[in-house]
Amino acid sequence: MKKSRPYKKITTGGSPVGPGTGWIALLLLLLAAMAVSAKVGVVHYSWVELWQSSIFWNLRLPRILLAVTVGAALSVCGAAYQAIFRNPLTDPYVLGISSGASLGAAVAILLGLEAWLLGVGACALASGLLTIVVIYRIASIGNRMHTTTLLLTGVCLTFLISALVSFLMVLHQDKMDSIIFWTMGSFASATWTDVALVAPVVLVGTAVVLYHCRDLNLLLAGSEAARSMGVEVERVKKRLLLATTLMVAFCVSATGVIGFVGLVVPHCVRLLLGPDNRRVVPYSIIAGALFLLLSDTLARTVLMPAELPVGSITAIVGAPLFIYLLYKNKKGF
Amino acid sequence: MITLRNISYAFGKKQVLEGIDTQFETGGFYAVMGANGCGKTTLLRLVAGLLSPQQGEVLIDEQSIGDLSARQLAQRIAFVRQHPQTDFEFSAFETVLMGRNPYQRHLQNESEEDWRIVEECMRQTGTWHLRFAKPHEMSGGELQRVMIARALAQQTPILLLDEPVSNLDIAHQFDILELLHTINCEQGKTILLVVHDLNLALRYCQSLLLIHEGRIHYQGPIAEGLTADNIRTVFGVEAQQKEGLLALSPLTANR
Repeated sequence: MKKSRPYKKITTGGSPVGPGTGWIALLLLLLAAMAVSAKVGVVHYSWVELWQSSIFWNLRLPRILLAVTVGAALSVCGAAYQAIFRNPLTDPYVLGISSGASLGAAVAILLGLEAWLLGVGACALASGLLTIVVIYRIASIGNRMHTTTLLLTGVCLTFLISALVSFLMVLHQDKMDSIIFWTMGSFASATWTDVALVAPVVLVGTAVVLYHCRDLNLLLAGSEAARSMGVEVERVKKRLLLATTLMVAFCVSATGVIGFVGLVVPHCVRLLLGPDNRRVVPYSIIAGALFLLLSDTLARTVLMPAELPVGSITAIVGAPLFIYLLYKNKKGF
Repeated sequence: MITLRNISYAFGKKQVLEGIDTQFETGGFYAVMGANGCGKTTLLRLVAGLLSPQQGEVLIDEQSIGDLSARQLAQRIAFVRQHPQTDFEFSAFETVLMGRNPYQRHLQNESEEDWRIVEECMRQTGTWHLRFAKPHEMSGGELQRVMIARALAQQTPILLLDEPVSNLDIAHQFDILELLHTINCEQGKTILLVVHDLNLALRYCQSLLLIHEGRIHYQGPIAEGLTADNIRTVFGVEAQQKEGLLALSPLTANR
């Protein structure tokens, strides 16, 4: 067979499958962004002073690392969910996992567990996991998971839980501020403990998703087609859902609910690089990290010394970008 | 050889197939026929391992398919659905490349060999010129041929097709059956085809499995199976055979 045939162009639009030079470049860009983000802030430092300051080591660095970790995690989970459920609207938020976790946090705040080291985070984690168990129970009729039922259950639970959280807020107006923090998401209180809790889970979970990238492609062709092409569909779906749910629950327990990232980042990557998950997932890791890092940096610097909720920045920056890409893509046809 | 041993299958309380006992010989070209809802598709999905029977078992070369992993099964049986799901943006080439999945390890990229096989399968099905096309840029017939190419790329000894031509015009129906006939003759693949057109089946298939209300009504050579009696029982339609073609007229008395 002649080697000159343009196979690579056909499959990947010119770049090799999986992380290539573009991915490395994006990674370097992320590292540069992390450095810049560490430099800016209320207190000005030179690079040397920064290295020696406790603000860098105890406040800015854990915050940057947490933003990067959570951004990567949410994007990877969004990419995985969109393939598993064959639905472009799916992300951790729509499935109800994020809001489930926020209910746990709200209850913990009302019970006065904030004083404990991990009180609120642990409750968020527990209720996030509980939510996904409830959703699975309702949605898995027989042994198979029905995607539509699962999504509808997620959407319904999200509504129910948001209503409960609002209800709790009205009943306990004195604690409203801390509850709002959970529902809007913020990195302001990031600590090394958060990073140490979240990062390992995200690393392992991301590895699981990366391992199943090609299975995600086949799942897009339909569960039955995937099965007849050799994917153990139910097992792979369950494993991926467990990995991603744990990632989301740990992220929400540390930072509160941050919407939009999981939905938009994988879509943007897909619009630019095509639907192959062997590229969508690795690029989403870096793009998501970069996106959330920039959003958080803007959130804490635009109105210094006041802080904006990071969720509003992700929406203000992300939505127009997303719509632009959609529009540009439409015109291409 | 595919063996179905005393298979029964029910969706909830509705018994779809009952006491199916049959064999499909290696290299045969079988038409699976019967009225809508008689259990043809269920039979095919049972053979493909997409459903497991409540009773009985399916064996491929004396091995129960329940003991095979999805991957092993995908190296033996390829399945083409009636309505391929196409709401994704993979090109035809990438779609056919998916058929190589049962031979690839996790985290492993496709080899030159995989690409060569995909090109061969696409040329065979006359879809090579469509390699860059997305699903929404192709016609129903083209899409179905891409799906057949994907099934061929799995390089299985057995090919199952569930009404692959039911949505196509006459010319494309002939195209696809001609293609299947060639595949059957040249590659010796065992083919099970669910098809509604009696004349198409008569022209291209060797054997017939006629299902009536969840049971086997006839099995054997197709020319002897598509008799006026059988067609009347199974479809409620009056038929006459003239020069190897069936002329049909509805049985007005029954309708």
